[in-house]
Amino acid sequence: MTNTLEIQKLTKQFNEQSILRDITFSVEKGEVLSIVGPSGSGKTTLLRILAGLEPLTTGTISISGQDVTEKKANKRSVSLVFQQPLLFPHMTVEENIRYGAKLAKKDSKRKTQSLLEAIGLLDYKDYYPAEISGGQQQRVALARAMATEPEVILFDEPFSSLDPQLRKELRLWVRTFLTERSITSIFVTHDTEEAMLMGDRVAVFHEGKFQQVDQPSTLLQSPNHPFVAHFLGGHLVIDEERYIPVQSCLFRPPSDTSYEQHEGTIQHKTYQHGQTIGHLFLESLGEKVSLPVQEGSVGAELSLYLPLDKIKRFEGGRT
Amino acid sequence: MSRNRLLFIITSALFFLLPVLLLVLQSVSETWRFQAGQGFTFQLDSFEVLTSDPNLWSATGWSIAIGAGVLVTNLLIGILTGKALATMDFKGKSFVEAMMLSPILIPVLAIAMGLHLFMIRIGLADTLAGVILIHLVPTVPYSVKIFQNAYRQMGSDLLEQPLILGATPVHQLFTVELPLMKPAIRSVTFLTIVISLSQYAITAIIGGGTVITLPMVFFPFLDTANASIMAAFSIWFAMIPLLLYVIMEAILLLLPYTNIPWRNRT
Repeated sequence: MTNTLEIQKLTKQFNEQSILRDITFSVEKGEVLSIVGPSGSGKTTLLRILAGLEPLTTGTISISGQDVTEKKANKRSVSLVFQQPLLFPHMTVEENIRYGAKLAKKDSKRKTQSLLEAIGLLDYKDYYPAEISGGQQQRVALARAMATEPEVILFDEPFSSLDPQLRKELRLWVRTFLTERSITSIFVTHDTEEAMLMGDRVAVFHEGKFQQVDQPSTLLQSPNHPFVAHFLGGHLVIDEERYIPVQSCLFRPPSDTSYEQHEGTIQHKTYQHGQTIGHLFLESLGEKVSLPVQEGSVGAELSLYLPLDKIKRFEGGRT
Repeated sequence: MSRNRLLFIITSALFFLLPVLLLVLQSVSETWRFQAGQGFTFQLDSFEVLTSDPNLWSATGWSIAIGAGVLVTNLLIGILTGKALATMDFKGKSFVEAMMLSPILIPVLAIAMGLHLFMIRIGLADTLAGVILIHLVPTVPYSVKIFQNAYRQMGSDLLEQPLILGATPVHQLFTVELPLMKPAIRSVTFLTIVISLSQYAITAIIGGGTVITLPMVFFPFLDTANASIMAAFSIWFAMIPLLLYVIMEAILLLLPYTNIPWRNRT
Protein backbone atom coordinates (compact mmCIF):
# COMPACT_ATOMS: atom_id res chain seq x y z
CA MET A 1 0.00 0.00 0.00
CA THR A 2 1.49 3.35 -1.00
CA ASN A 3 -1.10 5.57 0.61
CA THR A 4 0.03 6.79 4.00
CA LEU A 5 -3.12 8.66 4.81
CA GLU A 6 -6.63 7.67 3.73
CA ILE A 7 -9.74 9.60 4.61
CA GLN A 8 -13.14 8.09 3.87
CA LYS A 9 -16.43 10.02 3.89
CA LEU A 10 -15.40 12.36 6.65
CA THR A 11 -18.11 14.72 7.90
CA LYS A 12 -18.19 17.16 10.76
CA GLN A 13 -21.24 18.90 12.11
CA PHE A 14 -21.21 21.58 14.71
CA ASN A 15 -24.49 22.86 16.15
CA GLU A 16 -26.33 21.23 13.25
CA GLN A 17 -24.15 23.12 10.79
CA SER A 18 -22.11 21.08 8.34
CA ILE A 19 -18.47 22.16 8.42
CA LEU A 20 -17.03 19.21 6.50
CA ARG A 21 -19.16 17.31 3.99
CA ASP A 22 -18.33 13.82 2.93
CA ILE A 23 -14.62 14.32 2.33
CA THR A 24 -12.71 11.43 0.77
CA PHE A 25 -9.06 11.67 -0.21
CA SER A 26 -5.70 10.01 0.24
CA VAL A 27 -2.11 11.13 0.41
CA GLU A 28 0.69 8.95 -0.92
CA LYS A 29 3.87 8.29 0.99
CA GLY A 30 6.22 11.24 0.63
CA GLU A 31 3.59 13.41 -1.01
CA VAL A 32 2.78 16.97 0.02
CA LEU A 33 -0.87 17.88 -0.36
CA SER A 34 -1.71 21.58 -0.15
CA ILE A 35 -5.18 22.54 0.96
CA VAL A 36 -6.12 26.07 0.00
CA GLY A 37 -9.34 27.92 0.65
CA PRO A 38 -10.74 31.12 2.06
CA SER A 39 -10.38 31.89 5.77
CA GLY A 40 -13.08 30.31 7.88
CA SER A 41 -13.86 27.56 5.37
CA GLY A 42 -13.05 24.74 7.83
CA LYS A 43 -9.50 23.85 6.76
CA THR A 44 -8.16 24.09 10.29
CA THR A 45 -11.02 21.95 11.59
CA LEU A 46 -10.07 19.28 9.05
CA LEU A 47 -6.46 19.29 10.27
CA ARG A 48 -7.52 19.20 13.91
CA ILE A 49 -9.70 16.18 13.19
CA LEU A 50 -6.82 14.43 11.41
CA ALA A 51 -4.55 15.18 14.38
CA GLY A 52 -7.12 13.82 16.82
CA LEU A 53 -7.75 17.11 18.59
CA GLU A 54 -11.38 17.20 17.58
CA PRO A 55 -13.94 14.45 17.11
CA LEU A 56 -15.47 13.79 13.71
CA THR A 57 -19.16 13.17 13.12
CA THR A 58 -18.86 10.31 10.62
CA GLY A 59 -16.12 8.77 8.47
CA THR A 60 -12.82 6.97 8.94
CA ILE A 61 -9.18 7.99 9.04
CA SER A 62 -6.46 5.43 8.30
CA ILE A 63 -2.73 5.86 8.59
CA SER A 64 -0.62 3.25 6.77
CA GLY A 65 -3.63 0.97 6.55
CA GLN A 66 -4.49 1.22 10.24
CA ASP A 67 -7.78 2.74 11.33
CA VAL A 68 -6.96 5.55 13.78
CA THR A 69 -10.41 7.20 13.85
CA GLU A 70 -10.97 6.37 17.51
CA LYS A 71 -7.38 6.94 18.63
CA LYS A 72 -6.54 9.92 20.82
CA ALA A 73 -4.18 12.65 19.63
CA ASN A 74 -1.26 11.38 21.74
CA LYS A 75 -1.58 7.90 20.26
CA ARG A 76 -1.56 8.94 16.58
CA SER A 77 1.60 9.04 14.53
CA VAL A 78 0.75 12.55 13.38
CA SER A 79 2.42 15.88 14.12
CA LEU A 80 0.78 19.25 13.75
CA VAL A 81 2.70 22.47 13.24
CA PHE A 82 0.50 25.39 14.22
CA GLN A 83 0.38 28.99 12.99
CA GLN A 84 2.36 30.01 16.06
CA PRO A 85 5.55 28.08 16.94
CA LEU A 86 4.13 27.30 20.43
CA LEU A 87 7.50 26.22 21.78
CA PHE A 88 7.64 25.40 25.48
CA PRO A 89 9.07 28.61 26.94
CA HIS A 90 10.74 26.90 29.88
CA MET A 91 12.74 24.48 27.74
CA THR A 92 15.80 25.18 25.65
CA VAL A 93 15.75 24.71 21.88
CA GLU A 94 17.30 21.27 22.30
CA GLU A 95 14.89 20.22 25.06
CA ASN A 96 11.97 21.36 22.93
CA ILE A 97 13.13 19.21 20.02
CA ARG A 98 13.72 16.17 22.21
CA TYR A 99 10.41 16.44 24.10
CA GLY A 100 8.27 14.46 21.66
CA ALA A 101 11.14 12.21 20.57
CA LYS A 102 11.63 10.99 24.14
CA LEU A 103 7.92 10.20 24.44
CA ALA A 104 7.96 8.30 21.16
CA LYS A 105 11.11 6.50 22.40
CA LYS A 106 12.91 7.72 19.30
CA ASP A 107 15.31 10.04 21.05
CA SER A 108 18.95 9.94 20.10
CA LYS A 109 21.73 12.46 20.40
CA ARG A 110 22.67 11.98 16.75
CA LYS A 111 19.20 12.70 15.51
CA THR A 112 18.85 15.83 17.61
CA GLN A 113 22.24 16.95 16.37
CA SER A 114 21.31 16.39 12.73
CA LEU A 115 17.97 18.15 13.14
CA LEU A 116 19.66 21.11 14.80
CA GLU A 117 22.09 21.20 11.90
CA ALA A 118 19.28 20.96 9.37
CA ILE A 119 17.47 23.93 10.86
CA GLY A 120 20.78 25.80 11.16
CA LEU A 121 20.48 26.32 14.90
CA LEU A 122 23.23 24.11 16.28
CA ASP A 123 24.81 27.06 18.06
CA TYR A 124 21.49 28.00 19.60
CA LYS A 125 20.66 24.67 21.19
CA ASP A 126 20.95 26.00 24.74
CA TYR A 127 18.93 29.13 24.04
CA TYR A 128 15.40 29.59 25.28
CA PRO A 129 12.62 30.27 22.73
CA ALA A 130 12.30 33.89 23.88
CA GLU A 131 15.93 34.45 22.91
CA ILE A 132 15.60 33.51 19.23
CA SER A 133 13.70 35.16 16.35
CA GLY A 134 10.24 34.26 15.07
CA GLY A 135 11.61 32.48 11.98
CA GLN A 136 14.04 30.49 14.09
CA GLN A 137 11.25 29.55 16.48
CA GLN A 138 9.14 28.24 13.62
CA ARG A 139 12.07 26.15 12.41
CA VAL A 140 12.48 24.70 15.90
CA ALA A 141 8.75 23.89 15.90
CA LEU A 142 9.26 22.01 12.64
CA ALA A 143 12.27 20.12 14.00
CA ARG A 144 10.27 19.25 17.12
CA ALA A 145 7.48 17.85 14.96
CA MET A 146 10.02 15.94 12.85
CA ALA A 147 11.86 14.48 15.84
CA THR A 148 8.95 12.20 16.75
CA GLU A 149 9.28 10.66 13.26
CA PRO A 150 5.55 10.84 12.58
CA GLU A 151 4.05 9.18 9.54
CA VAL A 152 2.25 12.39 8.63
CA ILE A 153 3.01 16.02 9.41
CA LEU A 154 0.19 18.54 9.22
CA PHE A 155 0.91 22.22 8.74
CA ASP A 156 -1.68 24.81 9.68
CA GLU A 157 -0.59 28.05 7.97
CA PRO A 158 2.80 27.81 9.65
CA PHE A 159 4.18 30.96 8.05
CA SER A 160 1.24 33.30 8.47
CA SER A 161 2.73 35.08 11.46
CA LEU A 162 6.01 35.84 9.68
CA ASP A 163 6.94 38.86 7.57
CA PRO A 164 6.78 38.40 3.76
CA GLN A 165 10.53 38.12 3.20
CA LEU A 166 11.07 35.54 5.91
CA ARG A 167 7.96 33.73 4.80
CA LYS A 168 9.35 33.31 1.28
CA GLU A 169 12.68 32.03 2.53
CA LEU A 170 11.18 29.66 5.06
CA ARG A 171 8.62 28.07 2.77
CA LEU A 172 11.26 27.19 0.21
CA TRP A 173 13.39 25.76 2.98
CA VAL A 174 10.50 23.68 4.36
CA ARG A 175 9.61 22.44 0.87
CA THR A 176 13.16 21.21 0.28
CA PHE A 177 13.28 19.74 3.78
CA LEU A 178 10.10 17.72 3.20
CA THR A 179 11.08 16.57 -0.28
CA GLU A 180 14.60 15.50 0.73
CA ARG A 181 13.23 13.36 3.55
CA SER A 182 10.12 12.26 1.61
CA ILE A 183 7.81 13.18 4.45
CA THR A 184 4.08 12.73 3.90
CA SER A 185 2.42 16.01 4.75
CA ILE A 186 -0.65 18.16 4.43
CA PHE A 187 -0.14 21.86 4.16
CA VAL A 188 -3.04 24.19 4.83
CA THR A 189 -2.95 27.81 3.71
CA HIS A 190 -5.21 30.57 2.39
CA ASP A 191 -2.45 31.82 0.11
CA THR A 192 -2.76 30.31 -3.37
CA GLU A 193 0.85 31.04 -4.29
CA GLU A 194 2.05 29.24 -1.18
CA ALA A 195 -0.24 26.29 -1.87
CA MET A 196 1.12 25.91 -5.41
CA LEU A 197 4.70 26.14 -4.23
CA MET A 198 4.37 23.70 -1.33
CA GLY A 199 2.11 21.02 -2.75
CA ASP A 200 2.70 18.16 -5.18
CA ARG A 201 -1.06 18.35 -5.46
CA VAL A 202 -3.34 21.19 -4.45
CA ALA A 203 -6.86 20.79 -3.11
CA VAL A 204 -9.17 23.79 -3.31
CA PHE A 205 -11.42 23.73 -0.28
CA HIS A 206 -14.75 25.52 -0.14
CA GLU A 207 -18.10 25.01 1.56
CA GLY A 208 -16.87 22.00 3.50
CA LYS A 209 -15.53 19.97 0.59
CA PHE A 210 -12.75 19.76 -1.96
CA GLN A 211 -13.86 21.51 -5.13
CA GLN A 212 -10.88 20.21 -7.09
CA VAL A 213 -7.72 18.27 -6.32
CA ASP A 214 -5.02 18.40 -8.99
CA GLN A 215 -1.45 19.23 -9.74
CA PRO A 216 -0.82 22.98 -9.58
CA SER A 217 -0.44 23.39 -13.37
CA THR A 218 -3.64 21.45 -14.14
CA LEU A 219 -5.50 23.44 -11.54
CA LEU A 220 -4.39 26.72 -13.07
CA GLN A 221 -5.02 25.69 -16.67
CA SER A 222 -8.32 23.90 -16.30
CA PRO A 223 -10.32 24.75 -13.23
CA ASN A 224 -13.43 22.58 -13.03
CA HIS A 225 -15.60 24.86 -10.94
CA PRO A 226 -16.39 28.60 -11.03
CA PHE A 227 -15.20 28.92 -7.42
CA VAL A 228 -11.82 27.41 -8.29
CA ALA A 229 -11.40 29.80 -11.21
CA HIS A 230 -12.38 32.75 -9.04
CA PHE A 231 -10.23 31.78 -6.12
CA LEU A 232 -7.06 31.02 -8.06
CA GLY A 233 -7.44 33.99 -10.43
CA GLY A 234 -6.08 34.07 -13.97
CA HIS A 235 -9.50 33.40 -15.50
CA LEU A 236 -12.61 35.40 -16.27
CA VAL A 237 -15.72 33.46 -15.29
CA ILE A 238 -18.35 34.19 -17.91
CA ASP A 239 -21.16 32.16 -16.37
CA GLU A 240 -21.64 29.01 -14.28
CA GLU A 241 -20.43 26.88 -17.20
CA ARG A 242 -17.86 28.88 -19.12
CA TYR A 243 -14.61 30.73 -18.49
CA ILE A 244 -11.75 32.19 -20.44
CA PRO A 245 -8.08 32.60 -19.48
CA VAL A 246 -7.30 36.25 -18.78
CA GLN A 247 -4.46 36.32 -21.30
CA SER A 248 -6.94 35.43 -24.09
CA CYS A 249 -9.07 38.53 -23.39
CA LEU A 250 -8.47 41.33 -25.94
CA PHE A 251 -9.03 45.06 -25.93
CA ARG A 252 -9.54 45.13 -29.76
CA PRO A 253 -11.89 42.91 -31.71
CA PRO A 254 -10.04 39.95 -33.27
CA SER A 255 -10.25 39.93 -37.06
CA ASP A 256 -10.00 36.19 -37.66
CA THR A 257 -12.56 34.76 -35.29
CA SER A 258 -15.97 35.50 -33.79
CA TYR A 259 -16.12 36.90 -30.26
CA GLU A 260 -18.21 38.03 -27.30
CA GLN A 261 -18.05 41.69 -26.32
CA HIS A 262 -18.42 43.01 -22.75
CA GLU A 263 -18.24 46.59 -21.48
CA GLY A 264 -16.15 47.38 -18.41
CA THR A 265 -14.85 50.17 -16.19
CA ILE A 266 -11.34 50.45 -14.75
CA GLN A 267 -11.91 50.63 -11.00
CA HIS A 268 -8.30 51.01 -9.96
CA LYS A 269 -4.76 50.23 -11.04
CA THR A 270 -1.84 48.49 -9.42
CA TYR A 271 1.72 47.79 -10.53
CA GLN A 272 3.21 44.31 -10.54
CA HIS A 273 6.43 42.96 -12.08
CA GLY A 274 6.87 46.24 -14.01
CA GLN A 275 3.42 46.06 -15.56
CA THR A 276 0.34 48.18 -15.04
CA ILE A 277 -2.55 46.00 -13.96
CA GLY A 278 -6.04 47.33 -14.48
CA HIS A 279 -8.79 46.02 -12.23
CA LEU A 280 -11.93 46.03 -14.38
CA PHE A 281 -15.53 45.60 -13.44
CA LEU A 282 -17.62 44.06 -16.22
CA GLU A 283 -21.17 45.16 -15.62
CA SER A 284 -22.85 42.72 -18.00
CA LEU A 285 -21.22 39.73 -16.24
CA GLY A 286 -21.17 41.21 -12.76
CA GLU A 287 -17.53 40.06 -12.63
CA LYS A 288 -14.21 41.65 -11.75
CA VAL A 289 -11.09 40.83 -13.72
CA SER A 290 -7.47 41.96 -13.41
CA LEU A 291 -5.27 42.14 -16.48
CA PRO A 292 -2.38 44.19 -17.90
CA VAL A 293 -3.55 47.45 -19.51
CA GLN A 294 -1.61 49.82 -21.73
CA GLU A 295 -3.87 52.85 -21.63
CA GLY A 296 -6.95 54.18 -19.90
CA SER A 297 -7.20 55.94 -16.57
CA VAL A 298 -9.22 55.01 -13.49
CA GLY A 299 -12.91 55.39 -14.29
CA ALA A 300 -12.36 54.94 -18.06
CA GLU A 301 -14.82 52.71 -19.89
CA LEU A 302 -13.55 50.11 -22.33
CA SER A 303 -14.67 47.02 -24.21
CA LEU A 304 -13.31 43.54 -23.64
CA TYR A 305 -13.42 41.03 -26.51
CA LEU A 306 -13.51 37.32 -25.74
CA PRO A 307 -12.63 35.13 -28.76
CA LEU A 308 -15.17 32.26 -28.88
CA ASP A 309 -12.52 29.67 -29.71
CA LYS A 310 -10.65 30.47 -26.46
CA ILE A 311 -13.68 30.10 -24.21
CA LYS A 312 -13.62 26.86 -22.19
CA ARG A 313 -16.24 24.96 -20.24
CA PHE A 314 -15.96 23.85 -16.61
CA GLU A 315 -15.75 20.11 -16.44
CA GLY A 316 -17.14 19.98 -12.94
CA GLY A 317 -17.94 17.07 -10.74
CA ARG A 318 -14.40 15.78 -10.48
CA THR A 319 -12.87 15.97 -7.02
CA MET B 1 16.69 51.86 34.29
CA SER B 2 19.22 52.55 37.05
CA ARG B 3 16.93 55.28 38.42
CA ASN B 4 14.09 52.80 38.64
CA ARG B 5 16.39 50.36 40.35
CA LEU B 6 17.41 52.96 42.91
CA LEU B 7 13.77 53.83 43.51
CA PHE B 8 13.00 50.15 44.00
CA ILE B 9 15.81 49.69 46.49
CA ILE B 10 14.82 52.80 48.49
CA THR B 11 11.13 51.88 48.53
CA SER B 12 11.70 48.29 49.54
CA ALA B 13 14.20 49.31 52.21
CA LEU B 14 11.82 51.90 53.62
CA PHE B 15 8.60 49.93 53.55
CA PHE B 16 9.77 46.34 53.85
CA LEU B 17 13.24 45.88 55.29
CA LEU B 18 13.06 48.68 57.85
CA PRO B 19 9.82 47.50 59.50
CA VAL B 20 11.12 43.93 59.64
CA LEU B 21 14.38 45.16 61.16
CA LEU B 22 12.46 47.21 63.74
CA LEU B 23 10.34 44.18 64.57
CA VAL B 24 13.42 42.01 65.10
CA LEU B 25 15.11 44.68 67.22
CA GLN B 26 11.97 45.18 69.29
CA SER B 27 11.72 41.47 69.98
CA VAL B 28 15.20 41.37 71.50
CA SER B 29 15.08 44.67 73.37
CA GLU B 30 13.05 46.16 76.15
CA THR B 31 9.97 48.08 75.13
CA TRP B 32 11.14 51.25 73.53
CA ARG B 33 9.12 54.44 73.70
CA PHE B 34 9.54 57.57 71.70
CA GLN B 35 11.54 60.28 73.57
CA ALA B 36 11.69 58.21 76.72
CA GLY B 37 15.38 58.83 76.84
CA GLN B 38 16.19 55.11 76.96
CA GLY B 39 18.75 53.38 74.81
CA PHE B 40 18.73 49.90 73.36
CA THR B 41 18.61 47.30 76.12
CA PHE B 42 19.20 43.76 74.91
CA GLN B 43 17.01 41.05 76.41
CA LEU B 44 15.60 37.64 75.49
CA ASP B 45 12.77 37.67 78.05
CA SER B 46 10.11 38.07 75.39
CA PHE B 47 11.17 34.81 73.70
CA GLU B 48 11.33 33.13 77.10
CA VAL B 49 7.75 34.19 77.82
CA LEU B 50 6.79 32.90 74.41
CA THR B 51 8.42 29.49 74.77
CA SER B 52 7.13 29.11 78.31
CA ASP B 53 3.62 28.80 76.93
CA PRO B 54 2.90 25.07 77.21
CA ASN B 55 0.77 25.08 74.07
CA LEU B 56 3.27 26.87 71.79
CA TRP B 57 4.93 23.87 70.19
CA SER B 58 1.80 21.83 69.78
CA ALA B 59 -0.03 24.87 68.37
CA THR B 60 2.81 25.45 65.92
CA GLY B 61 2.59 21.81 64.89
CA TRP B 62 -1.18 22.05 64.42
CA SER B 63 -0.82 25.27 62.43
CA ILE B 64 1.81 23.75 60.14
CA ALA B 65 -0.24 20.59 59.63
CA ILE B 66 -3.40 22.56 58.90
CA GLY B 67 -1.50 25.00 56.62
CA ALA B 68 0.10 22.14 54.67
CA GLY B 69 -3.20 20.28 54.38
CA VAL B 70 -5.03 23.40 53.23
CA LEU B 71 -2.28 24.14 50.72
CA VAL B 72 -2.22 20.66 49.17
CA THR B 73 -6.01 20.55 48.91
CA ASN B 74 -6.04 24.03 47.42
CA LEU B 75 -3.45 23.04 44.81
CA LEU B 76 -5.47 19.98 43.85
CA ILE B 77 -8.83 21.74 43.63
CA GLY B 78 -7.36 24.92 42.15
CA ILE B 79 -5.42 23.20 39.34
CA LEU B 80 -8.24 20.85 38.33
CA THR B 81 -11.04 23.43 38.51
CA GLY B 82 -8.91 26.25 37.13
CA LYS B 83 -7.96 24.14 34.10
CA ALA B 84 -11.54 23.10 33.48
CA LEU B 85 -12.81 26.67 33.70
CA ALA B 86 -10.04 28.01 31.46
CA THR B 87 -10.08 25.38 28.73
CA MET B 88 -13.59 23.96 28.59
CA ASP B 89 -16.75 25.46 27.21
CA PHE B 90 -20.02 24.30 28.66
CA LYS B 91 -23.48 25.52 29.37
CA GLY B 92 -23.80 27.51 32.57
CA LYS B 93 -20.04 28.14 32.79
CA SER B 94 -20.45 31.70 34.07
CA PHE B 95 -22.87 30.44 36.72
CA VAL B 96 -20.31 27.88 37.89
CA GLU B 97 -17.64 30.60 37.94
CA ALA B 98 -19.86 32.81 40.08
CA MET B 99 -20.61 29.92 42.42
CA MET B 100 -16.89 29.28 42.86
CA LEU B 101 -16.51 32.82 44.19
CA SER B 102 -19.58 32.75 46.42
CA PRO B 103 -17.82 31.49 49.61
CA ILE B 104 -15.98 34.79 49.92
CA LEU B 105 -19.17 36.79 49.46
CA ILE B 106 -20.77 35.29 52.58
CA PRO B 107 -19.13 35.90 56.00
CA VAL B 108 -17.13 32.76 56.70
CA LEU B 109 -18.27 32.83 60.33
CA ALA B 110 -21.86 32.30 59.22
CA ILE B 111 -20.80 29.34 57.09
CA ALA B 112 -18.76 27.85 59.93
CA MET B 113 -21.63 28.10 62.40
CA GLY B 114 -23.95 26.46 59.95
CA LEU B 115 -21.45 23.73 59.10
CA HIS B 116 -20.62 23.09 62.73
CA LEU B 117 -23.78 21.08 63.35
CA PHE B 118 -23.21 19.13 60.17
CA MET B 119 -19.62 18.41 61.13
CA ILE B 120 -20.66 17.20 64.59
CA ARG B 121 -23.12 14.87 62.94
CA ILE B 122 -20.56 13.33 60.57
CA GLY B 123 -17.82 13.32 63.20
CA LEU B 124 -15.57 15.96 61.67
CA ALA B 125 -15.91 18.48 64.49
CA ASP B 126 -12.85 18.77 66.75
CA THR B 127 -10.64 17.08 64.14
CA LEU B 128 -7.77 18.18 61.93
CA ALA B 129 -9.70 17.21 58.78
CA GLY B 130 -12.66 19.32 59.89
CA VAL B 131 -10.50 22.39 60.43
CA ILE B 132 -8.75 21.87 57.08
CA LEU B 133 -12.15 21.60 55.43
CA ILE B 134 -13.45 24.83 56.96
CA HIS B 135 -10.22 26.63 56.03
CA LEU B 136 -10.91 25.73 52.40
CA VAL B 137 -13.91 28.06 52.43
CA PRO B 138 -11.94 31.32 52.53
CA THR B 139 -9.05 30.00 50.39
CA VAL B 140 -10.34 27.86 47.51
CA PRO B 141 -12.07 30.69 45.61
CA TYR B 142 -8.74 32.54 45.33
CA SER B 143 -6.82 29.43 44.27
CA VAL B 144 -9.33 28.58 41.56
CA LYS B 145 -9.17 32.14 40.23
CA ILE B 146 -5.36 32.20 40.26
CA PHE B 147 -5.02 28.86 38.43
CA GLN B 148 -7.80 29.71 36.01
CA ASN B 149 -5.86 32.84 35.04
CA ALA B 150 -2.61 30.89 34.81
CA TYR B 151 -4.16 28.36 32.42
CA ARG B 152 -5.83 31.09 30.39
CA GLN B 153 -2.51 32.85 30.05
CA MET B 154 -0.88 29.65 28.83
CA GLY B 155 -3.53 29.32 26.14
CA SER B 156 -5.29 26.22 24.91
CA ASP B 157 -2.99 25.99 21.85
CA LEU B 158 0.11 25.53 23.99
CA LEU B 159 -1.77 22.96 26.05
CA GLU B 160 -2.54 20.95 22.92
CA GLN B 161 1.09 20.86 21.82
CA PRO B 162 2.28 18.19 24.30
CA LEU B 163 -0.72 16.06 23.36
CA ILE B 164 0.25 16.25 19.68
CA LEU B 165 3.79 15.24 20.62
CA GLY B 166 2.46 12.15 22.38
CA ALA B 167 2.30 13.19 26.04
CA THR B 168 -0.25 11.71 28.42
CA PRO B 169 -2.22 14.22 30.55
CA VAL B 170 -0.16 13.39 33.66
CA HIS B 171 3.15 13.75 31.80
CA GLN B 172 1.89 17.04 30.38
CA LEU B 173 0.96 18.27 33.88
CA PHE B 174 4.43 17.66 35.27
CA THR B 175 6.54 18.67 32.26
CA VAL B 176 4.62 21.65 30.91
CA GLU B 177 1.76 22.88 33.08
CA LEU B 178 3.33 22.90 36.56
CA PRO B 179 6.70 24.36 35.45
CA LEU B 180 4.87 27.16 33.62
CA MET B 181 2.58 27.81 36.59
CA LYS B 182 5.33 28.29 39.17
CA PRO B 183 4.39 31.93 39.83
CA ALA B 184 0.76 30.88 40.38
CA ILE B 185 1.83 28.04 42.70
CA ARG B 186 3.94 30.52 44.71
CA SER B 187 1.02 32.96 45.01
CA VAL B 188 -1.34 30.21 46.12
CA THR B 189 1.21 28.92 48.64
CA PHE B 190 1.58 32.26 50.38
CA LEU B 191 -2.05 33.24 50.13
CA THR B 192 -3.57 30.03 51.46
CA ILE B 193 -1.08 29.57 54.29
CA VAL B 194 -1.41 33.15 55.47
CA ILE B 195 -5.21 33.05 55.27
CA SER B 196 -5.32 29.67 57.02
CA LEU B 197 -2.95 30.84 59.78
CA SER B 198 -5.03 33.94 60.46
CA GLN B 199 -8.30 32.12 61.07
CA TYR B 200 -9.24 32.38 64.71
CA ALA B 201 -13.00 32.16 65.02
CA ILE B 202 -13.69 29.38 62.57
CA THR B 203 -10.79 27.29 63.86
CA ALA B 204 -12.10 27.71 67.40
CA ILE B 205 -15.63 26.74 66.39
CA ILE B 206 -14.77 23.66 64.34
CA GLY B 207 -11.62 22.72 66.30
CA GLY B 208 -13.68 22.94 69.46
CA GLY B 209 -10.69 23.43 71.73
CA THR B 210 -9.08 20.17 70.66
CA VAL B 211 -7.31 21.70 67.70
CA ILE B 212 -5.36 24.59 69.15
CA THR B 213 -3.60 26.76 66.58
CA LEU B 214 -1.18 29.65 66.94
CA PRO B 215 -3.81 32.45 66.80
CA MET B 216 -5.46 30.87 69.83
CA VAL B 217 -2.19 30.91 71.75
CA PHE B 218 -1.59 34.40 70.44
CA PHE B 219 -4.95 35.78 71.56
CA PRO B 220 -4.35 36.05 75.34
CA PHE B 221 -1.13 37.95 74.66
CA LEU B 222 -3.10 40.71 72.96
CA ASP B 223 -4.02 41.94 76.43
CA THR B 224 -0.45 42.75 77.29
CA ALA B 225 0.97 46.10 76.36
CA ASN B 226 4.40 44.51 76.08
CA ALA B 227 5.52 45.29 72.55
CA SER B 228 8.58 43.04 72.88
CA ILE B 229 6.48 39.94 73.48
CA MET B 230 4.17 40.88 70.65
CA ALA B 231 7.16 41.33 68.34
CA ALA B 232 8.61 37.97 69.36
CA PHE B 233 5.27 36.35 68.69
CA SER B 234 4.94 38.03 65.28
CA ILE B 235 8.34 36.74 64.24
CA TRP B 236 7.45 33.23 65.38
CA PHE B 237 4.21 33.53 63.46
CA ALA B 238 5.89 34.73 60.27
CA MET B 239 8.31 31.82 60.30
CA ILE B 240 5.56 29.32 59.41
CA PRO B 241 4.60 30.66 55.95
CA LEU B 242 8.28 31.24 55.30
CA LEU B 243 9.13 27.65 56.21
CA LEU B 244 6.35 26.23 54.07
CA TYR B 245 7.34 28.54 51.22
CA VAL B 246 10.94 27.30 51.37
CA ILE B 247 9.70 23.70 51.33
CA MET B 248 7.46 24.49 48.34
CA GLU B 249 10.40 26.13 46.49
CA ALA B 250 12.48 23.01 47.09
CA ILE B 251 9.68 20.84 45.68
CA LEU B 252 9.36 23.14 42.66
CA LEU B 253 13.07 22.71 41.97
CA LEU B 254 12.41 19.01 41.50
CA LEU B 255 10.05 19.64 38.57
CA PRO B 256 11.43 18.59 35.19
CA TYR B 257 12.79 21.30 32.88
CA THR B 258 13.40 23.68 35.77
CA ASN B 259 15.53 26.58 34.66
CA ILE B 260 19.02 26.33 36.02
CA PRO B 261 18.99 29.26 38.46
CA TRP B 262 22.53 30.35 37.73
CA ARG B 263 22.11 30.43 33.97
CA ASN B 264 22.45 33.91 32.55
CA ARG B 265 19.35 34.77 30.58
CA THR B 266 19.93 37.34 27.90
